[in-house]
Amino acid sequence: MMDDQIVRITSRLVAPFIQLYGIYIILHGHLSPGGGFSGGAIFGASLVLIALSFNLEAGIKQISHQTASVLESGGALGFALTGLVAIAFGGNYLANRSAGFPLGEAGQFFSSGAILVITVFVGIKVASTITTLFYNIIEKEEPLGNHKQTD
Amino acid sequence: MEIISRLTENYFYLVAVILFVIGMHTMLTHSNMIKKVIAMNIMDSSVFLLFVAIGYRHGAQAPIIREGVDIVYANPLPGALIVTGIVVAVSVTAYALSIIVKIQRSYETVDCDEICELRSED
Amino acid sequence: MESAGHQPVLIIVLLLISAFIAPLLYRRWRFLSGAVVLAALTGSFITALLLLSKSGASSSLSYHLGNWPPPWGIELIIDPLRVYMLLVVTGVSLWIFIYALGDLKHELHNDVIGWYYSLYAVLVASMSAITLTNDLFNLFVLMEICAITACAIITIKDQRECLEAGFKYLIMSAMGTGCFLLGVAMIYMVTGYLNYSFIQSELSLALTDYPLNIFTAAALFIVAFGTKAALFPLHVWLPDAHAAAPSPSSAMLSGLVIKIYAFALFMIFYRVFPRSLLDTIPLNEIILWLGAMGVMFGSIYAMLQTDLKKMLAYSSISQIAFIFMGIGLDQPLALTGGLYHIMVHAFTKSTLFMSAGAIIYSTGVRRISDLGGIGKVLPLPLFAFTIGSASMIGLPGTGGLISKWYLALGTLETGRILFLLVILASSLLNAIYYMPIVINAFMSGEEFKEKVKIVPLSMQVTLAAGMILVVISGIFSRQVIIFFEQALTSLY
Repeated sequence: MMDDQIVRITSRLVAPFIQLYGIYIILHGHLSPGGGFSGGAIFGASLVLIALSFNLEAGIKQISHQTASVLESGGALGFALTGLVAIAFGGNYLANRSAGFPLGEAGQFFSSGAILVITVFVGIKVASTITTLFYNIIEKEEPLGNHKQTD
Repeated sequence: MEIISRLTENYFYLVAVILFVIGMHTMLTHSNMIKKVIAMNIMDSSVFLLFVAIGYRHGAQAPIIREGVDIVYANPLPGALIVTGIVVAVSVTAYALSIIVKIQRSYETVDCDEICELRSED
Repeated sequence: MESAGHQPVLIIVLLLISAFIAPLLYRRWRFLSGAVVLAALTGSFITALLLLSKSGASSSLSYHLGNWPPPWGIELIIDPLRVYMLLVVTGVSLWIFIYALGDLKHELHNDVIGWYYSLYAVLVASMSAITLTNDLFNLFVLMEICAITACAIITIKDQRECLEAGFKYLIMSAMGTGCFLLGVAMIYMVTGYLNYSFIQSELSLALTDYPLNIFTAAALFIVAFGTKAALFPLHVWLPDAHAAAPSPSSAMLSGLVIKIYAFALFMIFYRVFPRSLLDTIPLNEIILWLGAMGVMFGSIYAMLQTDLKKMLAYSSISQIAFIFMGIGLDQPLALTGGLYHIMVHAFTKSTLFMSAGAIIYSTGVRRISDLGGIGKVLPLPLFAFTIGSASMIGLPGTGGLISKWYLALGTLETGRILFLLVILASSLLNAIYYMPIVINAFMSGEEFKEKVKIVPLSMQVTLAAGMILVVISGIFSRQVIIFFEQALTSLY
């Protein structure tokens, strides 16, 4: 954790824009290069940036460890369930057009059916995973119980 | 001479193989765990490079369809596959680093040889 | 090929969904989280049984993910051999999970058990998907998932040996998957396909034009799967990893995870490589010799161990090599033996690791020399251990005899007497290091001194089930062998 005014002010200024950019990349995954993973990584990086330049508490104020790991499971679950919805509509698993998802017109925002939904779920999953990974590594944990375990 | 001309034509394969060998050698011979993880990444990147290079075609453009334009497209499939490969490599790296953090906490070193010595003292 | 319904993908998705729900539930209702995974495992096992009745012994069904037909989309295939492997994977993992419900509480920190359930379900899902997939790149991704989760169920036990063993395993398997992806790149370069069936028809043409690429790919595949499945010179990660892990993880890793890679190699040899490639270069011969060396050296190393679980881990190296010998002999009878050994060894080694786990649970003893007289205080675990040892040696009435019998018939059929001797010698060596433990446990005059805890009911039930499974696989093997005979005719 850095104790530096310049770093703190800059990152506080920059973080919202990074987050907005991450959301943009996630939502435009079906139209332009990018998508759930890249956008989620950018969004997650902004949270990591805040936690790094202030301290862990500031990061946790943005999104707590608990919420992050719930979102992590939720994103993956959403992906899996979207695939099941396709089966309910009569297609194969993760089918898109043949399951009757509206494709819309190429180039429009609401197009490509299930891909947009899946991209959003992947974005949520990746952003929260990157945050939890960072929290897990940085959090102080109690020392290992079996420090002097003999073999 | 033929082999040299073949190599110069397909220099990206050569580079990929050299990187692969560097990565594998470092991974198996260096005792520092962080270096092992870096080497693992070099090795993976070399394979990704080789895979992406398969999709390369001379003078081709990005495979985005535009109406009425008839040009040569690069093969998009290797790129799409390698994005997945990169994600997998990232997760393996993150996991390996988190194990190293834990190992460092309990042995207070990240060097395999020193850990072996510590273990033999036990 | 007719459509398969949605069952193949439901097996995988069911397990994955349970894996995502389990850690969420574990925060509030600890009991439910285990129950969800248990239900998903049961459901996938029942689905696999339904698939068996659907596919029978000769037909094959295919499932196209997302309605994309191959070669564009990912294809899952249901054929007799894959259904067999799927049944072994889902059945054995269900059985081990019931054991884990009892054992984990004392091996792991209480907060991480929910995550353990989750990892376990992802591991089983990835293994089922490896058996079903018909796509090389899909196989790569699944292998990485399998490797990460397999490492994670070792390192989740927060001890330094586990962390170190897990790291070693992770690095070795990262090397393996790196080699595998390079091999896939080589194949994709000359064929332009990733689907097994399309590659197979394309490779026989490409073999004349680009032999070097294909030979390199074959070599890389052998290294990749050899590392992952602990084939002899590449086995160094296995003993530490399997010995340090919590007992249910050891049973899982030794019983299923290494075998899934042997099965994947088998699939690559017979479903991806055309027959002409196997005839051109002696791939089977290489596997055969490495397997034979693995059988011998695994047994010899196992004799030198003083730690019970480490001995079992080294014994796994020698037993997995039997499966590779079956592939190496390249002959229907030997393949029958090798494939049957997948199931037998999954039953046997899991039983052995479970009884070792029960011994450690109730007494804390790990050293072989301290086990004298333990049979009187812990009759059931040691009885299970005895049955398991008998199957390892290949005594009549146990599954070990059947698989070794068919392997031996295969060596006779091909006229390779040397390998028959290897099989016999290994049985003898197994007897040398398993029997003293059993004899010492039951017949030694000394009293067992350590304090003894009572083994939980779920562990006792699974141990008893293990004994029954080992014996059933020895007595009622006829049906399975006939099933293999029909299934293997499609390969030759």
